[in-house]
Amino acid sequence: MSLNKNELVDDLVAKLKRRQLVGSSAVSQATLKLLVVVISKNNWSTANQLLTLVKSVGQKLIQANPTELAVGNIIRRVLHVIREEYREAENDKTNTEFHHHAAPLTTSSSMYNLLGESGAAQEEQVQFSHSLRSNIIQEIRDIKIELENIHENIKNQAPLHIHSNEIIMTIGRSKTVEEFLKMAASKRKFQVLVAETAPSYHGQEMALELSKAGIETTVIPDSAVFAVMSRVNKVILGTHAVLANGGLVAISGSHMMAAAAKHHSIPVVVCTGLYKLSPLYPYDEDSFNVTMNPDSVLGFEEGDLIEKVTVTNPYYDYVSPDFVNLFITNQGGHPPSYLYRLIVENYDPDDQTFDL
Amino acid sequence: MDKEFDVVANYKTLLVESPEISMPVAAIESLVELIKHSKATTMSEFMLSIKDASQRLKSSVRNSISLSAGCDLFLRFVTRNSHDVADFETWKATLISRGQSFVEKADACRYKIAELGVPFIRDGSTVLIHAHSRVVSLLLQKAAADHKRFKVFVTESSQTQGGIRSAKVLRAAGIPTTIILDAAVGYVIDKVDMVLVGAEGVVENGGLINQIGSYQMAIVAKAANKPFYAVAESYKFVRLFPLNQYDLPTYNADTLSFQELNTDHDAKSLEDGTPSSASQTALHLKTAEDQTSQGSNPLVDYTPPNYITLLFTDLGVLTPSGVSDELIKLYL
Repeated sequence: MSLNKNELVDDLVAKLKRRQLVGSSAVSQATLKLLVVVISKNNWSTANQLLTLVKSVGQKLIQANPTELAVGNIIRRVLHVIREEYREAENDKTNTEFHHHAAPLTTSSSMYNLLGESGAAQEEQVQFSHSLRSNIIQEIRDIKIELENIHENIKNQAPLHIHSNEIIMTIGRSKTVEEFLKMAASKRKFQVLVAETAPSYHGQEMALELSKAGIETTVIPDSAVFAVMSRVNKVILGTHAVLANGGLVAISGSHMMAAAAKHHSIPVVVCTGLYKLSPLYPYDEDSFNVTMNPDSVLGFEEGDLIEKVTVTNPYYDYVSPDFVNLFITNQGGHPPSYLYRLIVENYDPDDQTFDL
Repeated sequence: MDKEFDVVANYKTLLVESPEISMPVAAIESLVELIKHSKATTMSEFMLSIKDASQRLKSSVRNSISLSAGCDLFLRFVTRNSHDVADFETWKATLISRGQSFVEKADACRYKIAELGVPFIRDGSTVLIHAHSRVVSLLLQKAAADHKRFKVFVTESSQTQGGIRSAKVLRAAGIPTTIILDAAVGYVIDKVDMVLVGAEGVVENGGLINQIGSYQMAIVAKAANKPFYAVAESYKFVRLFPLNQYDLPTYNADTLSFQELNTDHDAKSLEDGTPSSASQTALHLKTAEDQTSQGSNPLVDYTPPNYITLLFTDLGVLTPSGVSDELIKLYL
């Protein structure tokens, strides 16, 4: 392993640890950039070596900040790409040698495999040809392009979902939702209610951005969400991560808003890039949460009070999939029950954990 | 043709000899045994004999759901491979070896499921399980071996007394276990963090066919907002699409039928030692009259997919809609 690469890994690890780099989008792009360097600058000759290499980097990055689920997602995407490229190369080889293919349909996870051959063990030992290396790099570049175009792809669907004179409610500040609403505003006229999202007040920033784009925007206190909900046509949420069951890890307050929407039978739509979709399950609802500095809830000026109370300031909410009606991703709209399909398509079941 | 080989007898001895083996695996094993004994010389004769044997297996037991899952899976495998047969004898040999390796792999399935399911069991949680399921027991044993601290409520399941068997197994693994009445599910649900059940079969829409009582557990769990997880090996996926309880192959006219009020005839037949209705229940009914007034009770019920939170299978943790996807992959 070259020194150069190790330095880059350590650099990203440090940035993640110090929270200099936060937010799914920034984190996933940095991870991908690092992986391109790792794959192209290192010496490896078999698929196994490469997988181990990527996994070891992945482990370090995930340990640095386990709540940034996008890091793991990107690593898994890349691992999946490597496996796919490898399988393709293998298939080409066997086809030219005129081997009988019993069941080309079988994938790595299928009931059929129970009765099929178990040929997976000797896999991944064969030498990589040079074209394979460039193929993998190319595939990773494609992922990068996908990441760059995510907002574009999502916002183009906006006119399908937002109609004239609708009242939309949202919470927090999400770049994806912001672009989505701005795009819709260029075609339609509608109103947006933004919950201010205390104590970070990201909602206020969001409202400012939207009103700059000429959207009729109203800021409401978080406590008024339920009261106003009956007048709303649609709730549009951004999210930090989407879990494998369709649950969300989203800014705190999202659960309350989604529950209020459910009470009034208002559809909840979540705008998210596919890179936020994680194959992990919410084993424990708090496992992906972080608590922030309580200063914004109760500052040190309130010394008398602080002595007597405990202040917590959780940053995220877990929103169960029952509360979500639709996910709008860069690949289109999906109900929560369909997410497992996207996970199967994008990740390999062996990569759930990065145990080496 | 296979006069000397009796599939049904072979199947039954398999189940008796190794209590750890599950019905679909035993079914496939006896079908493999049949192939070994088969003297068929043509393809169609061979296929006919296998189809006939699996039909006989299915009709030999009252509750054929998980058994037919195994038979259908194997038949599907045979037909799928029957198109490019070069040499009949070598093909038969392949089938036999694949069948045998399946039996070995079947065990590994359960371990894989246990591994996938363990993270869902949190420290300090309480789990409610139903009756006895080998794969559920294995999952809980594995969790205990991983030093998770949790408690288990198990329903007695009065029909088979499966709960008592489960409790024995779990206590041996050092898990605090309490047996509750089947009727006490609603009573304990507030103390429970999750419900875990096994399966006889998982149907096409992601619903579940399991020991009677699972459905009401699912309804109670849903009402109390507790997760309801099903644990099943993928060879238990069956191509059924039941629309309600009475849509299952195990349902017949006898099931929960009402007896004639004039019980003279019934009482007589009971004295002969041949109960009129094939009541396989272990209902503790005192008098003969009580017994005969009881229609045949169902052994399994159907839990619709909307009550199931997730399914733990060897193909991964699936949402109910994931099941149909896997079945389509196999039968397309």
